Amino acid sequence: MKVQFDEEDEAFRQMVRSRIAEILAVDIRGRQRRILSSASDLEDQRRWFAALDAQGWSVPAWPVEVGGTGWSPLQRFIFEDEMYAADAPEFNWMGSHMVGPVLYTFGSEAQKARFLPSIRNGKEIWAQGFSEPSSGSDLASLRTQARRETEHYVVSGSKIWTSGAFEADWLFCLVKTDAQGKPQRSVSCLLIDLKTPGITIRRIQQMNGEAHLCEVFFDEVRVPVENLVGEQGAGWTYAKFLLDHERTTSSFVFWIKRELARTRELGRVILRGGRPLIEDTYWSRRLAIAAAEIEAHEWSVLRVLSEERSDFPISAGASVLKVKGAELQQTITGLQVDMLGDQSLRDYGGSRNPPSTDPLWPDVVQGRTSRAMAARAATIYGGSQQIQKNILAKLALGL
Amino acid sequence: MDFELSDMQQMIVDSAERLITAEAGLDLWRDRRALADGVNPVLWNKMAELGWLALTVPEDAGGLGGSMEDAALLMVELGKGIVTEPVVSSGILAARILDRVMVGDTRAALLGAIATGETKVALAHTDPEAASVAPLAARRAGESFVLDGHKVMVFDAPSADQLLATATLDGQAALFLVDAGAQGVSLNTYPLVDGSRAADVAFSGVMLDTQALLATGTVAASVVEEGLDCARVALIAQAVGAMEAAVKISADYAKERQQFGQPIGKFQAIQHIAADMFVASFQARSALYAALRDIDGNAGRRSRVVAMAKVVSGMAGQTVSRNGIQIHGGYGITDEYAISHYYRRLMVLEKQYGSIDAHAARLATIEVGA
Repeated sequence: MKVQFDEEDEAFRQMVRSRIAEILAVDIRGRQRRILSSASDLEDQRRWFAALDAQGWSVPAWPVEVGGTGWSPLQRFIFEDEMYAADAPEFNWMGSHMVGPVLYTFGSEAQKARFLPSIRNGKEIWAQGFSEPSSGSDLASLRTQARRETEHYVVSGSKIWTSGAFEADWLFCLVKTDAQGKPQRSVSCLLIDLKTPGITIRRIQQMNGEAHLCEVFFDEVRVPVENLVGEQGAGWTYAKFLLDHERTTSSFVFWIKRELARTRELGRVILRGGRPLIEDTYWSRRLAIAAAEIEAHEWSVLRVLSEERSDFPISAGASVLKVKGAELQQTITGLQVDMLGDQSLRDYGGSRNPPSTDPLWPDVVQGRTSRAMAARAATIYGGSQQIQKNILAKLALGL
Repeated sequence: MDFELSDMQQMIVDSAERLITAEAGLDLWRDRRALADGVNPVLWNKMAELGWLALTVPEDAGGLGGSMEDAALLMVELGKGIVTEPVVSSGILAARILDRVMVGDTRAALLGAIATGETKVALAHTDPEAASVAPLAARRAGESFVLDGHKVMVFDAPSADQLLATATLDGQAALFLVDAGAQGVSLNTYPLVDGSRAADVAFSGVMLDTQALLATGTVAASVVEEGLDCARVALIAQAVGAMEAAVKISADYAKERQQFGQPIGKFQAIQHIAADMFVASFQARSALYAALRDIDGNAGRRSRVVAMAKVVSGMAGQTVSRNGIQIHGGYGITDEYAISHYYRRLMVLEKQYGSIDAHAARLATIEVGA
């Protein structure tokens, strides 16, 4: 066991850092720094993806044959770390981290040729249609039906909590292709063009002023059979593959580190009694404890990435990352709100603001409360905290 | 970066596992309380034979020259078996300090004796905080030194042959090596909650020759801090082992214990606090790795990561040991069940060489300066 980054890793970090500094446009970076919502500006996402694609870096984790970089897991870790540290826009994860891997693993040649390039260069944005109004944690109970008619599936039903559906081009959707069967054999994956007639999208107003989550309604929506992924009835396998494929994504470790940096900035910028807030022992200690937990969390990610040998299955490690990652998203954003005190109460709304010229309300203040509110969902989506603990009790402890 | 064990590391872990499986357990933990100085001499000799005390001692002084990573892997196993013998205080803490401040034959002789287990050395560093009890001070008397005053909570002092004592000399820090049986040294010994021993040490006109002074000023302070940081990492590793063992025995208990006609581990209320234990112990092991990364780095980096890991492992240890008792119900607070021994051991590991709060304060100071 040797827990050091090698010189090569450090050289790689420097290379990535300087290249990102060159290709990340100043205006995009500025908007990302002042962001109020959880999703980055769509146009910024597309521009940033195109810039990364020109560099060959937009989908590092993919196999080299389909546009990946061939980097080691540790190099990919360093790359993402640097992206967040540089205030690059959030990835369109759905495409690059989820749909892409399912398609290059299970998709037809035609699907790969049709969809992978536009995921790589950010021209098409994906959304994920899993949850339904009556199927949250109990995903197996989903009801949206797809009836097979010669050349089409006809889809009826609805999906909910679909991030960014209103501005996405495609939906990676789980549907029931057999009304009676067990979920293991009756669920299929369809790729649905969101401009297809019969689809209605309703944005859901969230408590932090944004409306990024959506409800998607399907009324006899006709989807060509060539948009079925793999085999009919094997959707559950693909969904599981997709969730298992990205073991470390739900750690949100880079996001959390970026918020930690912002918390430090707040500590210096916010004055209390004429002195920077961080000079108060109470606040410096709370910050120190959060930073300590975050650093340990980062090493948990490295362990799972490296598939460290252990007595429990590696997916238990993934659940640890989800539990701790969600908790720390709430801890660090909650700390920011607490540091701001009554200053945290200002409602900035959900839209972009120009850079602040008001010394009483520096840029770093806006967005803190909105982010903290959005982070309340971290312990709910992607398998709630309670579901993760059920999984851990079974997988890691045999209960 | 590589999380795989080398052949030598695997050997260390296997040998530790074997000895601890054979020798550790409730009877041994309880019998330890009756031992005069808390050290089981038979076990101590076996540990020495296996090279545990020599592990991080440099090769030119009769040691194995192992890294802190090697030591941490051994310590995880010791933590699983609640080994409280002074492996850390003598084999890591004192050995590291002595290696930094001694030279030549005397260095080789003393480190060699530590490595074989013949000599045990304890660090007497904490000054008393009571108006009527004087901290330890040294003064010159011709070519010699005279020590007067007190040190408190000297871990493993009752079994130590020599004491490494910090004292003020000419208004600055100084480090002395004192024979534990020297004229004028007296110990008020007491057991700790995990069965190990400590003492308050009074020095009354203790005469020392020139060679007893090992270091002064910032050197003295910095070598002690470096030694303590290494010892802290060793304790963190022990805590990781203790947590992983406590998680396992609590899960096993939840599978056995029946209430309402089924094992209590079938209830989500139990499953979730058990899962919290697992998450905490996972986090603690990650903190250990973070600390190992910079333990040999410069003092600033080293001190930051060690404090960070001490905070995280301390909090994790509390979650694990408290939930562990909760899962065991009433049996959890009895001496009969192993979980209460892990609780007590984890409490010692959290508080020794600086508690969660002490290290959070240390980290907070770094945050303000950053």
